[in-house]
Amino acid sequence: MSAEPGPPLPQPITSVKSPFRMDYTYVAGAGRSVFLRGLAERKLLARRCPGCSQVYLPPPEFCSRCLTELEAPFELDGRGTIATFCVVSFPFPGQTIEAPYVVAHIHHHGADTRLMHLIGDVAPDEVRIGMEVEPVWVGEDQLTTSMTSIRHYRPTGVAIGSESTRA
Amino acid sequence: MRDIAVVSFAQSPCVAANRRDDMAGFLLPVIRDAVQQAGIDRDQIDFFASGSHDFFEGRTFAYIESLDAVGAWPPISESHVEMDAAWAFHEAWAWLQLGQGDIALVYGIGRGSLPRDLDQVLPAQLDPYYLAPLRPHRHALAGLQARALLDAGRTSEQQLAEVVSRSLAAAVANPAAQKSGAFSVAELMAAPYVASPLREHDVAPCGDAAAVVVLAAGDTARRLADRPAWVRAIDHRMDTHYPGSRDLTRAESARIAGARAAELAGFAGYDVDVAELHVQYSHQEMILADALGLTGALINLSGGPLAGNPMTATGLIRIGEAAAQILDGRAGRTLAHATNGPALQQNLVCLMSTDPA
Amino acid sequence: MSTQLAVIGVGQSKQAKRREVTIGAMVREAVAAAMADAELEFSDIDAVVLSKTPDLFDGVMNPELYLADAMGAVGLPVTRVFTGGSVGGHAAIYAAHLVEAGLARRVLVVAYSKESEGNFTWALSRGLPFSAQLGAGAGGHFAPVIREYIRRSAAPEHIGWQVAVNHRLNATRNPYAHVQRPDITVEEVRDSPMLWDPIRFLESCPSSDGSCAVVVTSEEYAGRTERPPAWIHGMAWRTETGHFAGRDEVNPRAGQACAAEAYRQAGIDAPLEQVDVAELYIPYSWYEPIWLENIGLAEPGAGWALVDQGRTAYGGDMPVNPSGGVLSGNPTGATGLLRFAEAALQVRGLAGEHQVDGARRAVGHAMGGASQFHALWVVGSTRR
Repeated sequence: MSAEPGPPLPQPITSVKSPFRMDYTYVAGAGRSVFLRGLAERKLLARRCPGCSQVYLPPPEFCSRCLTELEAPFELDGRGTIATFCVVSFPFPGQTIEAPYVVAHIHHHGADTRLMHLIGDVAPDEVRIGMEVEPVWVGEDQLTTSMTSIRHYRPTGVAIGSESTRA
Repeated sequence: MRDIAVVSFAQSPCVAANRRDDMAGFLLPVIRDAVQQAGIDRDQIDFFASGSHDFFEGRTFAYIESLDAVGAWPPISESHVEMDAAWAFHEAWAWLQLGQGDIALVYGIGRGSLPRDLDQVLPAQLDPYYLAPLRPHRHALAGLQARALLDAGRTSEQQLAEVVSRSLAAAVANPAAQKSGAFSVAELMAAPYVASPLREHDVAPCGDAAAVVVLAAGDTARRLADRPAWVRAIDHRMDTHYPGSRDLTRAESARIAGARAAELAGFAGYDVDVAELHVQYSHQEMILADALGLTGALINLSGGPLAGNPMTATGLIRIGEAAAQILDGRAGRTLAHATNGPALQQNLVCLMSTDPA
Repeated sequence: MSTQLAVIGVGQSKQAKRREVTIGAMVREAVAAAMADAELEFSDIDAVVLSKTPDLFDGVMNPELYLADAMGAVGLPVTRVFTGGSVGGHAAIYAAHLVEAGLARRVLVVAYSKESEGNFTWALSRGLPFSAQLGAGAGGHFAPVIREYIRRSAAPEHIGWQVAVNHRLNATRNPYAHVQRPDITVEEVRDSPMLWDPIRFLESCPSSDGSCAVVVTSEEYAGRTERPPAWIHGMAWRTETGHFAGRDEVNPRAGQACAAEAYRQAGIDAPLEQVDVAELYIPYSWYEPIWLENIGLAEPGAGWALVDQGRTAYGGDMPVNPSGGVLSGNPTGATGLLRFAEAALQVRGLAGEHQVDGARRAVGHAMGGASQFHALWVVGSTRR
């Protein structure tokens, strides 16, 4: 070992900034476009599979079990029950809603799939599986072809009891 | 080795931008077409493999949506590569070697139209510390390669125009082509540069399309197709990343892949009638023809990627087109090539024949 | 499987926020360790399979291109598999297929994530017109599933806390694990902040940087070093569609089918008795009973009782995640391969301080997407 110190090590670089900006077009597809157009008119449009009779909400273009095009859209009244939910209880970057808030899987009456949305107008600790909810739409001027046309779902005040969500 | 063959191939037309269909809607008709051509039902398929890339879709886990077109219920045996689907084809071929099933379906989805500007996206595939921060224009690396090839005296701008003229003329007969037509060399050479010495027509036009290939083993293949395109060998190889540390005028990884595939197949590039090459730029045809020893082959009879380039499906389409030459009885031995990364960094070679061995 | 297949090399990096190394250097740590374990040179490797979770997580597209040199992959076939969180498992199985098919003698499987270099939250919650701006994150997806499991099984709430404690105590015996909390208690987990009710902070996985590498080969090239190989007794992958009417995410059929196929190959008919240790993909503590039931190590509704009786803790008869698991370190691209690799280390007797005594047969398990992608292998200390 040499007692002579070598040249000092360079100061390490621990961070290099290289921000990418990427802009994309989102293609909703034919099936989803029907549903999104409906949202702009305060309508929840479901479609049934002619193969397995399951009702999709939101509906894609075809049934992913039967690979069959879904039937013509029809309107549901929007009410449904909470199949399951969680309470988002902490703040994180980019969050648009103040915690705590409830995110739920909603099983609409007359549909066989579950739609994910927010639950509002109720204290998070009062939300229960099986609770009946209905959509709260945004004002006329904010309606658009997006899930954001529904501000959240709120309890209808009718408890349906615990419902199994098993297949 | 088990005898494995391509028994059907289908693709959607290459378009600059499909704004109608989501990923599953876009894929489903193509799967139906390929499955119908093979005369099978979906539930006879033992394995699925696919290739696509989140960076083209702009969403994490974008590929999961494509499974809705596969109908993964009851649960299926399935895998996905985030590469060109030609690598998924390799995976399916390897899977069929195991003898656990006889039919595999491979699909590729190219959605190059979704990024507003590919120059925002493609620099992300370069070394994140040294190269990506420079944000090179995507054609700039290809331009360096083309210029090096010109300086080495291995091609000329006239020859590049001849490749383009021939490819686009051939594409007239391909209903899936995005670009086609009769263009004279003089006309092409009068066009302005996009990255000297490359002009716009030297660049494979990025767009949207889906492609599906059905593979089958042994007697199943003989039952499903009159003239199965027997896959005699596939090999693929990787080169070093740094464009400055390799000879850009050579595709060493393509050469190795071609040589290894030839060992396995018992015939080589110079024996094939037809070759489909995944050229992202016209000058790459010369580099690949050299590396693969394509002395007698007709190249890119479909028009090739210069007539349509749905990134991550483009390589699989080369395999499909080369197989179709055999399925249709137009050729005896064919070669398909696929590439991944800038300036031909990674290359795959597939040799097919009318004979299983 | 017609051929006997084996794992002959395992390497991993420390899981942590790794600001002192580049992605390439971090990957190389695991690759070099696996190659040293297998006593191989790069010229002995015939193919490389890279496992990586979404590129958007750390902003490098097609990382196999940049990493070609770090992985020693120049001149070799390289494939990058991507199936969500199960990808490490899929990559290992694909590598084994290449050997089994006779296309390679030895395959190097590499996996990593370096999420500290990207913006994870952005990558997972891009706003789209089809999904409301829920801002729920990964836990927001899994928490409702957990709530449904608790409702079905009527499990007491301390089960989640107990799993979190077990795994963190296990991590203290694993020098590579990210989270080190030797003093953790059930009370501490119970009192930790609620994130996605019912998931608490200490019941959640961290975000880590880290890498893992494994060498898979056939019988012909196994057993050439003093360290014994892990023999692959069975392996399978299964996928199911994510959102069709009637899908059960609490006990997904693809997971059941995946395990059943791997057990069939391994000749296992009573998994709980015949498996000595399991490394499972458990990103939130409640997924321990959920997966125990899904892969047949417990009857439906009975998984939580194994936790409650201490049988899945280190020292129990069915220890789960002796490495500390995903709750103690989560470089997502490598997380699945780490489970497969840790299972191999256990049956090789090379798991160090977290070695389970007498482990002769182990399960490695990985899961991805909305519990749509499943991969599992059974490895053993003797030939299949």
